[in-house]
Amino acid sequence: MRRFTKEAVLVLLAIPILLWTLLPIYHIFLFSISSKDSAFSGALWPDKPTLRNFGTIFREEHFYLHHFWAQIWNSLWIAVAVGVITLAVATCAAFAISRLKVRGGRAVMNLALFTYFIPAAFLAIPMYKAMGIYGLLSNRWSLVLAMVTLAAPYAIWVLKQASDKLPYELDEAARIDGATPLQLFRLVYLPLMTPSLVAIGTYALLLAWNEYLYAYLLLSHEQTITLAVALGHFIAADDSPWELLMATGLVYALPPAAIYYAFRRYMVSGLTTGAVKA
Amino acid sequence: MASVAFESIHKSFGSTKVLHGISLDIADGEFMVLVGPSGCGKSTLLRMLAGLEDITAGTIAIDGRVVNDLDSKDRDIAMVFQSYALYPHMTVRENMGFSLKLRRDRPERIAEGVSRAAKILNLDPFLERYPRELSGGQRQRVAMGRAIVRDPKVFLFDEPLSNLDAKLRVAMRSEIKALHQRLKTTTVYVTHDQVEAMTMADRIAVMNEGRIEQLGDPLELYDQPANLFVAQFIGSPAMNVFDGTYRSGAVEALGARWPCNAKAHEGQSVKYGIRPEHLSFASHGVPAEIEVVEPMGAETEVLVRVGGQSFTVMAHGRATFGPGERVFVSPQAEHAHVFDSAGGRRL
Repeated sequence: MRRFTKEAVLVLLAIPILLWTLLPIYHIFLFSISSKDSAFSGALWPDKPTLRNFGTIFREEHFYLHHFWAQIWNSLWIAVAVGVITLAVATCAAFAISRLKVRGGRAVMNLALFTYFIPAAFLAIPMYKAMGIYGLLSNRWSLVLAMVTLAAPYAIWVLKQASDKLPYELDEAARIDGATPLQLFRLVYLPLMTPSLVAIGTYALLLAWNEYLYAYLLLSHEQTITLAVALGHFIAADDSPWELLMATGLVYALPPAAIYYAFRRYMVSGLTTGAVKA
Repeated sequence: MASVAFESIHKSFGSTKVLHGISLDIADGEFMVLVGPSGCGKSTLLRMLAGLEDITAGTIAIDGRVVNDLDSKDRDIAMVFQSYALYPHMTVRENMGFSLKLRRDRPERIAEGVSRAAKILNLDPFLERYPRELSGGQRQRVAMGRAIVRDPKVFLFDEPLSNLDAKLRVAMRSEIKALHQRLKTTTVYVTHDQVEAMTMADRIAVMNEGRIEQLGDPLELYDQPANLFVAQFIGSPAMNVFDGTYRSGAVEALGARWPCNAKAHEGQSVKYGIRPEHLSFASHGVPAEIEVVEPMGAETEVLVRVGGQSFTVMAHGRATFGPGERVFVSPQAEHAHVFDSAGGRRL
């Protein structure tokens, strides 16, 4: 009976939280299948649901959507690049600090984490200036480098904690078996770290995919901006095409949802391994 | 196969000295056991031989060649760890063939090596399994297989049986010994379990606080312990030891005279040691009171009390008396051990 009461309370709590979370998403969906006239009708379901908005988007038939495919490609390119580079940097750093126990490794990790004491927004202007000096403004690489800088400290920290949990005897066994540090990294370390690597890669990828502030500052041409920035342009006009904005937003939200769904198993196990030090 | 020589080995971790000048020669094909309590430095010594710890001072030579500055992989050794240290993402076959793969041996050669080792250790049915699908004993055998495959000059075992249950430990003990008799590879085996040391070793080095207390074959250590530490460490149940004073061919202690063949001074403070099987019940001797009787079938372990001190007596056959009864115990003088009270040295 007590268990039943406990579960009932949990369900009662869960329902409003679920509704609270899903309602905005439902709204986006509702807008995206409504025509411009009926978008603000307030109905829970449009009279004549339509997929025409998506056709408009994919055929780039609106002023704000003339570079839709280029912009979503930019988003994808940048997100994948950030994911890959962050993974490469953080994996090597975590391996060196945790497994090779290089001198000063801990100091490097603590310094990297220290950057989180400064809000990312404060760093935006210095970052803009730095990219300007290197002539990277309006170049996709500027955003990639900026996002890697923001994602790497957390990535290093999580991967270092996860590495610490691998038994050190494995490294010793591999050394005795004749492995060089590089072989140890490739043949023993990487395979065992896969769950954490997938989680961290996905984290960095989604961080870059969702980034607005830095993308807005560092990229300026219609051809080079990400879709997130382009979405922001929609509301610049007095008469914003909300149904198209919402439909584009929905399209933009699908890849992260798909990635998260595909890797959800790794996300939970990978990110929590670093959560507590065993 | 090869000989191993430790020459004045010192090891410090920061300001903490853990090994104080160990010198030890291990012959080609010998099964040497390093035994001692936790923290005595036995594992550190083994790890230095493996190349996993730096050598603070001294030299280690394998087959006459000093290996101090050689990487583990260039020392031609194989090690079995307490935790098995199997690669969890590789099958048994891949685990066993890993070192050969790193050596860039031909696939046929790797397959042949793995299959030979698998046959020796009866691992054939498990070659495609992952370590997580194996029992503790099977994992330990895979760890040994991984060592055998390489056909190294020296096998190193670091408390390999500590994670196994008692029954399996006994079985694996015989298996390792049989393996050594078959392969005749020089073996250095570290354990804190003196029974393992006694049953497996050709020679035992008993270590304590970073020094070798005594080096010798198992029965030599048992019969002629060089000092009190070795006397109390080797043997199960442990030797009975108590304080006394040496007077004309016997030790006076606990209100009785205990006969011995030691060369001590008259009136010298000594410790008298007698193993449980060298005490017997007799019609006259030292009066004692039975405390606990533990029948084990072939033998009976009896705890008796003499002058306020507990003793263990190992009697053959079955006991005919019970707790509280008064009896006489009689020590065998030729098996009594007498140690200097101050230094613990054998007299």
